[in-house]
Amino acid sequence: MEDRKVVIIGLDCLEPTLVERWIDDLPNLKRIMEEGIYGKIRSTDPPITIPAWSAMMSGYSPGSLGLYGFRNRGDFSYDALKLATSRTVKKKRVWDILSDRGKKVVLLGVPQTYPPNRVNGQMVSGWLTPDTSAQYTYPTSLKSELVDVFGEYIIDVKDFRTDDKERLLREIYAFSNQHFDIAEYMITKKNWDFFMMVDMGPDRFHHGFWKFFDTTHPKHVPGNELSDCVREYYIFLDGRLGRLLKKVPEESVIVVVSDHGAQPMMGGVAINEWLIDKGYLAVKDYPKELTPIRKIEIDWEKTKAWGEGGYYCRIFVNVKGREPKGVVDPGDYDDFLNEIIDEISNMKDESGNLIGNVCFRPGDLYREVNGIPPDIFVYLGNLRYRSVGSLGVGGYITYDNDTGPDDANHSFYGFFAMSGTESRGVRDGISIVDVAPTVLSLFGIDAPDDIEGKAIK
Amino acid sequence: MSGSGKSTVSEIVEEVLRDAGYKVEVLDGDVVRTNLSKGLGFSKEDRDLNIKRIGFVCNLLTRNGVVAIAAAISPYREVRDYNRKEIGDFIEVFCKCPLEVLIDRDVKGLYKKALAGEIKNFTGVSDPYEEPENPEVTVNTDLETPEESARKVLDKMIELGYVDIERLKSAIGTEDEEKIKKRLEDLGYI
Repeated sequence: MEDRKVVIIGLDCLEPTLVERWIDDLPNLKRIMEEGIYGKIRSTDPPITIPAWSAMMSGYSPGSLGLYGFRNRGDFSYDALKLATSRTVKKKRVWDILSDRGKKVVLLGVPQTYPPNRVNGQMVSGWLTPDTSAQYTYPTSLKSELVDVFGEYIIDVKDFRTDDKERLLREIYAFSNQHFDIAEYMITKKNWDFFMMVDMGPDRFHHGFWKFFDTTHPKHVPGNELSDCVREYYIFLDGRLGRLLKKVPEESVIVVVSDHGAQPMMGGVAINEWLIDKGYLAVKDYPKELTPIRKIEIDWEKTKAWGEGGYYCRIFVNVKGREPKGVVDPGDYDDFLNEIIDEISNMKDESGNLIGNVCFRPGDLYREVNGIPPDIFVYLGNLRYRSVGSLGVGGYITYDNDTGPDDANHSFYGFFAMSGTESRGVRDGISIVDVAPTVLSLFGIDAPDDIEGKAIK
Repeated sequence: MSGSGKSTVSEIVEEVLRDAGYKVEVLDGDVVRTNLSKGLGFSKEDRDLNIKRIGFVCNLLTRNGVVAIAAAISPYREVRDYNRKEIGDFIEVFCKCPLEVLIDRDVKGLYKKALAGEIKNFTGVSDPYEEPENPEVTVNTDLETPEESARKVLDKMIELGYVDIERLKSAIGTEDEEKIKKRLEDLGYI
């Protein structure tokens, strides 16, 4: 255990049912699964990149972390959504604990690592890095070293919600290729006991190309020329995985994991249009064209609740004494939540069919609730619909996305496989918070007493 | 003295250090007097006891890796020097501001009451304030912005090796946040 090496290859949004469907074309993943354990991994609530990766690597749920999205309320004012950076994570993540124990760590592109922390090793920060002029590596000298070898670091694919699919294909391949190239370099040149990389490529690919292969997708066009592109991309990823693993010492433990999966997006619910229809939200001037809610003057004295857009829907209640111009009496808060949850649960599409919305209060989801969560979490159509925060849509059901073409939503289960231990076979019931204690146990380190996950055996 | 900017400067220093990942605790004079030193008055003995208690807690915190910021009126040199010796990794910040400016500011309306004799033992009016002879940092809060004052404190902490400059440099700033928001807008997230 003293000399143990652990490698985590994170593939953001890799969908387990697609791995299963195309497994015979994915020899490297297949080998890891056959030589180890594998299964679906239940993501966080909500199942989105931030907080999912931080929950995975700390072992604590979003409630404990106080992270409910990549932007969270910093206070009870109306416009104080603060970005979730590395500094927002107050719990130690695996690499912090390993660094404290003298283990060498190398991290590449892991979400929520900007600004980079001091670690016992090397770190290149992830997706929410402002731009390449930022200091995105630890130590600082690593940045120029990588630029010398690989050119400018690609933080993300530009404008992935686009109809220019040819450009998008080219850019996602370039993005993933560079990250695997850097990974091969770091894994070869640097000293490490724990190596972890996350490639955001699969997430961008699903959002950009899901409708082309999925015949159940409402926008699917039979016989389109991109119908095989997602499978081809999975094959490409498997190839890069195989190339990378050839550079890893044979006895290493290999973990391939995704933070959530993906599913077809059936449409969007313009939640603020719905709230206006129901009399919960009032605006001073209804916009003539599609306009984000934050750019609209809200009549707070007449507003009981408002919503935010995203892959899941957040409802905030305008509470008297809490929000600056609150109107819902704190004594009526519970009843009001019950009323609005009841209404949302009965929301119907234009054909009169129930959309299948699922609502939660933060206390329903988490052992601990830190920070300022939304008052209600809503999985529109149980995540088959996106939340559209903008107004000017015209109705509350829409098949266009206010932020550009996007044909996939997140799903609750990601992919997990681990080889290099004695264990074999399928594992059911794996939770995303189980990964951190699993890694610590591989190094013979006790997890913190209050950690929410348990080691996967 | 009251209104000299202790809490304001402390809050900025606290935020920067927290952003850089440090554990920080602020012992604000007003808060301490309602908890740790509840019942103590404003005689010299009680004031000294109050500052010694704050120093004691700061010592416990600093030896456990927490940056402790005491933002309290501490009028007597002797007890400040006592805490300096007890704590070791110590910076005395003199929030310097002329009395007339403080009277003019009078954020809490205390100077007016003190000058009218309604508050006894008021530092700088009816009680002495012994200016530090060799403070590590002097901030002129009538001439500087709170950010400039906080910068001086942080620079001294870096100079003395109490905090790491690389760690502070890597803390996210407003400019970074704006850039990230712009990127998220470009990516269609917001």
